[in-house]
Amino acid sequence: MNAVAERESTSPLASAWRLLKLSARGLVRDLRAADVRALFVALALAVAASTMIGFFLDRLDRGLTRQAGQLMGGDLVLEQGRPFAPEIREALESAGMVISDQVDMVSMISHGDAFQPASLKVVDEVYPHYGTARVDIGEGVEAIPSGPPAGEVWLAPRLALLLEAEIGDAVRVGDSELRVGGLIEREPDQSAGFGSFNPRLMMNVQDLADTDLVQDGSRVEFELLAAGPPEALEQLSPLLDRLRRDGVEVRDVRRDRPGLGNALERAERYLSLAGLAAVLLAGVAVAMATRRYVDRHLDTAALMRCFGATQGELTRLFALQLLWLALAASVLGALLGLAGQAALLYLLTTFLPIELPPPGWLPLWLGVLTALAVLVGFAGPTLLRLKKVSALKVLRRELDPLPASAWLVVAVASLVFGGLLWLYSGDLVLSAGLLIGGLVMLVLLWGLGSLMLSGVLKLAGRLPRGGGNDASLPQALRLGGQQLARRRTASLGQLLAFSVTFFAMAMIALVRGDLLTTWEQQLPEDTPNYFAINIQPGERDGFEQALSGAADARSALYPMVRGRITAINGQTPRDVVPAEARGDNALRRELNLTWRESLPEGNRLVAGQWFDDLEGSTSDWYGEVAAEPEPGARPVPISMEDGLAERFGLSLGDTLTFTIGSAEVVGELVSLRNLDWDSFRPNFYVIFPPGVLERFGHSYITAFHLDEGESDTMRELVRQFPGVSLLNVDAILAQVRDLLTQVTRAVELVLAFVLLAGVSVLYAALTASRPVRAHESGLMRVFGAGNRLLSRVQGAEFAILGLASGLMGALLAELATAGIYLAWFDLAPRLHLWIWLLLPLGGALAIGVIGHLLSRDLRRQAPAASLGLLGET
Amino acid sequence: MFPGESVAILGQSGAGKSTLLGLLAGLDAPSSGELSLFGQPLSSLDEDGRARLRAGRVGFVFQNFQLLPTLTALENVLLPLELSPQPDAEARARDWLTRVGLGERLEHLPKQLSGGEQQRVALARAFVTGAELVFADEPTGNLDPATGERIIDALFDLNQQAGTTLVLVTHDHALARRCDRCLRLADGKLTEMTREEVSA
Repeated sequence: MNAVAERESTSPLASAWRLLKLSARGLVRDLRAADVRALFVALALAVAASTMIGFFLDRLDRGLTRQAGQLMGGDLVLEQGRPFAPEIREALESAGMVISDQVDMVSMISHGDAFQPASLKVVDEVYPHYGTARVDIGEGVEAIPSGPPAGEVWLAPRLALLLEAEIGDAVRVGDSELRVGGLIEREPDQSAGFGSFNPRLMMNVQDLADTDLVQDGSRVEFELLAAGPPEALEQLSPLLDRLRRDGVEVRDVRRDRPGLGNALERAERYLSLAGLAAVLLAGVAVAMATRRYVDRHLDTAALMRCFGATQGELTRLFALQLLWLALAASVLGALLGLAGQAALLYLLTTFLPIELPPPGWLPLWLGVLTALAVLVGFAGPTLLRLKKVSALKVLRRELDPLPASAWLVVAVASLVFGGLLWLYSGDLVLSAGLLIGGLVMLVLLWGLGSLMLSGVLKLAGRLPRGGGNDASLPQALRLGGQQLARRRTASLGQLLAFSVTFFAMAMIALVRGDLLTTWEQQLPEDTPNYFAINIQPGERDGFEQALSGAADARSALYPMVRGRITAINGQTPRDVVPAEARGDNALRRELNLTWRESLPEGNRLVAGQWFDDLEGSTSDWYGEVAAEPEPGARPVPISMEDGLAERFGLSLGDTLTFTIGSAEVVGELVSLRNLDWDSFRPNFYVIFPPGVLERFGHSYITAFHLDEGESDTMRELVRQFPGVSLLNVDAILAQVRDLLTQVTRAVELVLAFVLLAGVSVLYAALTASRPVRAHESGLMRVFGAGNRLLSRVQGAEFAILGLASGLMGALLAELATAGIYLAWFDLAPRLHLWIWLLLPLGGALAIGVIGHLLSRDLRRQAPAASLGLLGET
Repeated sequence: MFPGESVAILGQSGAGKSTLLGLLAGLDAPSSGELSLFGQPLSSLDEDGRARLRAGRVGFVFQNFQLLPTLTALENVLLPLELSPQPDAEARARDWLTRVGLGERLEHLPKQLSGGEQQRVALARAFVTGAELVFADEPTGNLDPATGERIIDALFDLNQQAGTTLVLVTHDHALARRCDRCLRLADGKLTEMTREEVSA
């Protein structure tokens, strides 16, 4: 029976198995070749970078959500000024949520002769959903997974101190006497109510009725704290939207997770960006390695055709072989990624107080998907050449199939990379924008590269021609430059690959540097570490004077008036703002308003004009704040924080009515400000011009920096201004600084990965160009070139290539970072002169040295061997 | 051509010997005319069909050996066997390599072998599938005369052992004389040569 008959008689399963074995065996043999190793390394790096960052961000995300749930007291918190209707409870319960009731209010507590307002938190038996309370019930602080039992209250230590009450004493709460059962050091949830300036008293809901505190008109907040799976939350979405419209404050752990703060958010973006850069670089390396892989396998393919393999079999065989390669690289890459994310976590460990959930499976699949996508996208079109090989090539060597069209290669790679961008960023517009930008850049680069090669050819021709075996520098540069420029297509490909590599490496390094500088500037040495609030107008000058001698830096003193937004464009705010903003804190609570002549430090005007620049005199503003302003009087110009305006759907020209005490003031939005909430300075949502709010009761707030050694100043301030509250934020400041240091280290770890991916590109590209170079140096040797000349010519060629790529990479990096800063990091673009020096020189050096080393053995070969006269090499 | 026969095709450089060989082996399709291989008209088959027809039945020996540089001698011989399921593939490959005198050099890469050794690996590869027909294209073209002689001895030896049909393309009359029949390709015409013409 001949082979065909045998093959056709076997079952499809057996032949699939045979193909699998055959491809696996082929791959193992193939690992002897440098291009396959380069492919493997590039794919493994792509997977490692994407899984490392994927694992880390995924764990961080889930960890933060869990932490947020604990801080909020549940996955879903509903809050309103009256008890919740039974239908709402039923709806939550039927969706699978567990409900805990809570009531918050401020009430006067007494013990003996001492009276003190306290912030009451009334909890039920279910409390808390997550975490434990740390309470001292007489035998030191311990973790207790519940609230106080009926008949008992827990006091904040400060409240106990002010009331002079101890554990076991009875305190009066409303109409009841309740026993002090413990002192709360930390509550499991930290939902801050309106009374959060007052010290805490926690009690059991069973005692609430007896206190008689809840009456019509009393300011009481009712809360439903619900815990449940994300699916349940999803299912409840319509109900939650309706509740928001009804003015219920809805806090949903998925949406209202406390922000990471600018620093960590930027770091997250940086990590994603760096991950993508590593994937892109790996893709370029794959593309370069594939060209050599295919060239080398054309012979194999032709032989196999000769031996009777069909096109389909060849395609399947090579596809499978590469699939094995991708899988093996994925496994190695995923392991590296796991180790990498552990390292990232370790670097960030002191900052992340939360316990992160174990790594999930999703990033792993994403990693494998990335490897396959990179392989298909960056290698696919080139690989198709193998299928087209004619068996006749074994007799006529020149019969190579046409190389894949460069446009096809770029188009497929771009599509796949764009898909990956979309997958990772989840933002279609951004991905499409980046992709189109990238393609425009590529066309630009292609043109620029062509021009450069022509320039190199011209310049090289002008260099003095040395005789014979002259190995002088000009001679080497002339020959090297000519070699490079005449091998136009191949050189252009390398030029593009190296430029993109240098660009990606430089960009990630640039962004890192700029992020770090921004972070350093954000919290300079003399960042305010104290806030002083409640400075009375009469104390203002004295306080300023007392500070001026001691504090190295301080913000201005801002007057503060409390007011509530009661109308927007003359209508009830709830009816005007978008549905999801109806329960917004800024509508439910009093805002801190201030007035000011100039734009506060650290604020940036993003729309409209500041008060100075407005037309007309200030005298048109309401001279008297009256309940009924004169007809025709212009509203007061006001400035609002852009984030709040966006949440409320407000734009310039809209009017807001503020109720301050019993009076109303109408303001018109004339400017929007962007401000940095992480600045450790007083920040305000709404700023009025001077001359409007002065007549209302107000106090002042300021922030200042005092060195640790200045405790005398502190004591003096406390003595002199007993009514002023001084808040020390050193601990928070230290935590933020710590975070920045650690994030910096994480950023550097990722940078190292990108650099590694860059080196893999160099390796792949130089490996790919070996045969051509071997051929050239063989020919030169035949024509009598000595080793010294050969070595110098090659060195010169690589150095020119590196120089040109460095220049193009620098240009690209500047353009791209400017774009990314504006679009993504909210930073001002800047010029980086040093990369224009470093990239070309560094590129010339790096490529010169690596290329020279990699082709060392070529120069040692006898010309006959390099020219293929002794058969295959 | 008949089973078991050995045929030499003689011709000057550029006469089209290799083109003819490509056509005979179904590596290329003729622009006109009809060719049959194993009784099957090649024009009725597409390129994949012709490949399937060759599988396991046709062996090749090339002037430039055509060994894959990253494969060992053994793996090179295994290559055609891997296209069809054969449980004893490796044993057979070892056996054929031993027959050509390379039993001790199984794990060597082509670049570690001399030209003659490389061509012997190619011989083993041509016969290992039990091919019914072997095409040899200037098998001694890249070898010195003494080595070439030994390769030819080995080729005819193996041919005899296996009872294969052999088509040998060469410009070497001495080599052609060892075949049962000789054909001359000149000016696009193939003519039968007499013994005397070959010896001349």
